[in-house]
Amino acid sequence: MSWIVFEHDGKPHRLAVVRTSVGVWVGWPGRAKFFVPERAAAVGARPLHDELRAPMTGRVLKVKVAAGACVRANQVLLILEAMKMEYQMQAPFDGTVAGVFCKEGDLVDLGQPLVKLAPADGGGSRT
Amino acid sequence: MKVLVANRGEIACRVLRTLREMDVPSIAVFTEPDRDAPHVWLAGEAVGLGEPRAYLDIPRVLEAVRRTGATHVHPGYGFLSQSAPFARACRDAGVGFIGPSPEAMVALGDKRGARATAERIGVPVVPGASECDSVEAARAAAERVGWPILLKAVGGGGGKGMRLVHRAEDLPEAMEAARREAVAAFDDARMLVEKYVFPVRHVEVQILADGRDAVALGERECSLQRRYQKVIEEAPSPGIADSTRQGLFDSAERLARAVGYQNAGTVEFLVGPDGSHYFLEVNARLQVEHPVTELLTGMDLVRLQVEVARGAPLPARIAPRGHAIEARLNAEDPYAGFLPQAGKVLMLEWPQRPWVRIDSGIRAGSEVSTHYDPLLAKLIAWGPDRDAARRRLLEALRETTLLGVTTNQGFLSQILESGFFVAGETFTTTLEKHQWPDPPVPAEVSAAAKRALSVRAPSVAAEAAGAMEGAGSGGDRFSPWAGMGRFRMDA
Repeated sequence: MSWIVFEHDGKPHRLAVVRTSVGVWVGWPGRAKFFVPERAAAVGARPLHDELRAPMTGRVLKVKVAAGACVRANQVLLILEAMKMEYQMQAPFDGTVAGVFCKEGDLVDLGQPLVKLAPADGGGSRT
Repeated sequence: MKVLVANRGEIACRVLRTLREMDVPSIAVFTEPDRDAPHVWLAGEAVGLGEPRAYLDIPRVLEAVRRTGATHVHPGYGFLSQSAPFARACRDAGVGFIGPSPEAMVALGDKRGARATAERIGVPVVPGASECDSVEAARAAAERVGWPILLKAVGGGGGKGMRLVHRAEDLPEAMEAARREAVAAFDDARMLVEKYVFPVRHVEVQILADGRDAVALGERECSLQRRYQKVIEEAPSPGIADSTRQGLFDSAERLARAVGYQNAGTVEFLVGPDGSHYFLEVNARLQVEHPVTELLTGMDLVRLQVEVARGAPLPARIAPRGHAIEARLNAEDPYAGFLPQAGKVLMLEWPQRPWVRIDSGIRAGSEVSTHYDPLLAKLIAWGPDRDAARRRLLEALRETTLLGVTTNQGFLSQILESGFFVAGETFTTTLEKHQWPDPPVPAEVSAAAKRALSVRAPSVAAEAAGAMEGAGSGGDRFSPWAGMGRFRMDA
């Protein structure tokens, strides 16, 4: 796969498409994005679930919370390091740490679950 | 003359290309992940160094020099380019280092030494203190110059080992993190403190020197940064008067002469709203954004570096022509905290248009790892005026197709289209002050993605074959485009 002409609403569009075993890359003028099957939503590091996944391949430098801890939105949960730069992973919402799946010094892969949070309101919804 | 290029990626490619034009025999070095990287194939010879970190390994690089009989080393930027021990080791081995002497590096490349030199010859510096290795010393300095302050690694660069600190109570943690980063990146935990001044422009001066004299070859404005990493660079600076420019050139040349600087370097300044300038630091090497100056002057800075290293006289100051803007294409996700991205480049097409230059270190099939800097390529556009260059660069970004690794391509266009950029209102705080929402995906793109995903995933083998060939083979039984009515391959 490479360039295709895709017709949408009666108009032709030239798009670059490469399918992988996980999803599909689509390129259009000025931009490209990776789409995965569920919801055909674009992949990003924004936490869609209660699980915080590694947004990049790197090393766990610090783990600042333990299971059972109450955390506030934006509180730093752990620090990752890649390319000698440090990246702080923050809580996306107020909640309780349900599990920590890594320890300091671990090498983690992109997408690997690192921390699981239970929202403070007990429900699954948040904004 | 025979030159070993002790670097990788786009800068190694760029240096090796000039060496070929000059008919100078060249040698590339590579690590395990870079075994098949583009730079390896641009050199006359290539020497493997081993593990991913080996570009920093002085004995191994010198062993490659000895084995190949190289007479000179070009260090590029990053890695060993500002290592005084490496420059000294080259000299001891009788090898020419295409860059400043180790003495000049210590006097200028080290931020502490640079401040002291500037103060001595009367070049203005940002208020601060050079020796702040402890929290107590840093706090005392901060209270003297006023909060907020920047805590900076003395041996640092590229924002590594640097922290903005607003309050005394945040200092201990910031100091710990900055020192950790500085030790990991430069093996040097020394810190200094500077008052955090804003709004300011970051304007730097390209210099070339021969140990006695120095010449300023123009300025570059690099105010648009995030986490102290430059994103967009341009010249001339849209926000300084000619008198300020002359003052910057004078300060830069005086600093270079004061330390007997040799070869290419960049003197960085902050420029306040009133046009006053403060010396920041010297980047004692060729810089990422050097093509901006090349497009404006018609000079090949790498060629000049080689010629100056061979003893040629310095060129004269040159009047710039038109305007040039550079955008850095990085493997990072601008809409997810700018986290570095990795992957295999599955498809790659660069724009082809006049007055646009692409300096790239990748090709289709390249594996982008997180071992190294996220910079994939630089797109640089020249135009007769600023807006012509801006529009040209935007079009070049529109025509760039890179699939397989998430990049900041869309973010670069957003910046070039923003009102502040059009107006030339660019300050060091501008990028981080603005919100950069992920623009909505066009409807036809979501629809095409959905359609592609509706078909069973290809086997790994078929995927590899398709990705490598650029595909379009009519008999691809996994193709989601097969048998889909008004749908055709553009092969």
